[in-house]
Amino acid sequence: MAQVPPMPIGPSAGVPGSVPNQLSIETTIDQERDLQQPGVKADELREAPEMGFWRLAVIRFLHHRVATGALLILGVIVLAAIVVPVITGDLYRIQDYRHPFKPPFQSFQHLLGTDDLGRDELARLLRGARVSIMVGALAMVGYLVIGGGLGALAGYYGGWLDNALMRFTDIIISMPFLLVVIAVTAATGGVRLSTVIIVIAATGWYEIGRLMRAQFLVLREQEFVQAARALGASNTRIIFRHILPNALAPIIVSATLGVSGIILLEAALGFLGYSIPPPEPSWGNMLNQFEDYLLQNQAYLVIFPATALVITALSINLIGDGIRDALDPRQR
Amino acid sequence: MTFYVIRRVAVGVFLLFLMSAMFFTLTRITPGQPVSVGENPRVHQEQVNRRLHRLGLTDEQGKPYSIPQQYVLYMGALAHGDLGDSYLYNVSVTTLLKQRLPNTALLLGTALMIALLIGIPLGIYAATHQYSKVDMTTSITSYIGVSIPSFVLGIYLLLIFAVFLKQSPLHWGFPLFGMHSGGVDDPLDLLYHMVLPVTSLTILEIAIFSRFMRASMLEVLHQDYIRTARAKGLAADKVNYKHALRNAILPIITLVALAIPQIVNGAIITEGIFSWPGTGQLAFQAVVDRDYPVILGVVMLVAALTVVFNLIADLTYAVADPRIRY
Repeated sequence: MAQVPPMPIGPSAGVPGSVPNQLSIETTIDQERDLQQPGVKADELREAPEMGFWRLAVIRFLHHRVATGALLILGVIVLAAIVVPVITGDLYRIQDYRHPFKPPFQSFQHLLGTDDLGRDELARLLRGARVSIMVGALAMVGYLVIGGGLGALAGYYGGWLDNALMRFTDIIISMPFLLVVIAVTAATGGVRLSTVIIVIAATGWYEIGRLMRAQFLVLREQEFVQAARALGASNTRIIFRHILPNALAPIIVSATLGVSGIILLEAALGFLGYSIPPPEPSWGNMLNQFEDYLLQNQAYLVIFPATALVITALSINLIGDGIRDALDPRQR
Repeated sequence: MTFYVIRRVAVGVFLLFLMSAMFFTLTRITPGQPVSVGENPRVHQEQVNRRLHRLGLTDEQGKPYSIPQQYVLYMGALAHGDLGDSYLYNVSVTTLLKQRLPNTALLLGTALMIALLIGIPLGIYAATHQYSKVDMTTSITSYIGVSIPSFVLGIYLLLIFAVFLKQSPLHWGFPLFGMHSGGVDDPLDLLYHMVLPVTSLTILEIAIFSRFMRASMLEVLHQDYIRTARAKGLAADKVNYKHALRNAILPIITLVALAIPQIVNGAIITEGIFSWPGTGQLAFQAVVDRDYPVILGVVMLVAALTVVFNLIADLTYAVADPRIRY
């Protein structure tokens, strides 16, 4: 090892004893490049500060092989769910009484066979994927709007709102969710997908809310927030410009993992017959008659929707974990 | 401490009131009547009136009560331990719950015991042997276990052990449907019918418990006092099982107490799938039949359980961990 005297890096490097001044990043890089640090390439130095937090996170995520694989699988499912039903149109509900229970992988016409009413199983699966994805996405938007908004306000302002949020959480936790949906469905007169989405969003937001609250509680005491306040920034500006971007990382992780929870909930409701009404298929209501299928020896009609559900939920969870590792590499 | 307990109980009672009011209103604004003359012309209007009065929907003259009046009546009866009558079965909801509760307790209790006996040692082993084969297997399995909803797991189990196994050359498998009429009097038959539902519940619980135990144990193992104990030259086992385990097991108390209402909740679907005659299946069936008093009764039961177990969790935690003061 060559004897290299330790060389201070940074704006003050050139002028010893000077106060760190308001140098732009470019100037700093140029100075550092001039210094020609041993072992550090000038290119690296120039590139490092240009990579933002999010770009680094994306790179870290893509290095996570399992998570990237899960993202690919989920991408294929989502794409197929969006595109294929447009092409096949009404195929999912066209009944063919001459050919019920056609076994899978026998003919190209019905790749995954047909169900008890002779409907194409593959078309139904993909149509059902739409329901799952739509409910997952919409309810999560609901979580983020309600939970994120109230959590931020509760964490930032505290007081009665904070108390109310905590008590609400207590109530929700002690409520049997399935029975709530069923009671609401019955009271509003009929099984509707919108009811399911609204009830899930209205009762499930508390986790995001609590997380957001915790983030705001910590961040509002930080020095950069105090500095912003001292500079005369309004509360709105502090919340949206200073705290929110810093609070986002754990929220994104929780939201991703939450989507799989919502999809499983919707499926459980569909399974009980309380999600989207037939003939519209969902993975849950395709499993509704599982006992008949088992007794009639048509196991594939049970295996396909159940496995589709598990694969989707599992890939979303894996993606969520990948994002967590990417956003917070210390927490491995 | 006394003040804290009183406050918690008060909050719990308040929560129960709030939830009962909410559910009561929801079930009562539901369109449709439990009894109507149109369905059976031979039923006299007078009989219908008597029945509606018995169900707490009208007064003696047949004049309908308003929803708040009905609620007051319902809560008044509840104070005497009466949850009203089922619309479908000609018995009180309390009777139904009393019939079904032992079965649920048997199923859930067995599953919980097995899950604790397997899940916690597994979590401890995984944490003390981090990145070993057992740790990796446990992590992956529990990861998948958490991603499978209980009804899908139940269906898979039935598929494998009640359908495929029976069709295999063995010609033997577990039953597709729940308990026989023998019930508790026929232990062998009972056991035979319990295997699948218990397995289904246990797998999910083991997944939860082992994950949590592993995380809790790892957190403690990284603390300074553990390093000190190791530096002093204490045997690894003594450090792991005496110093670390005692602190790591504390959060599990809360987890288990909080998991019990969740398990009761989840049993609605598991019992429904395996036709296990417990409260869950009662609720499952009540949902299908729209038997609202029964749904309301089960909701109240689950809510009460949650409040009670939350309180127990907090109190045992305070007793077990002297660092916690209220």
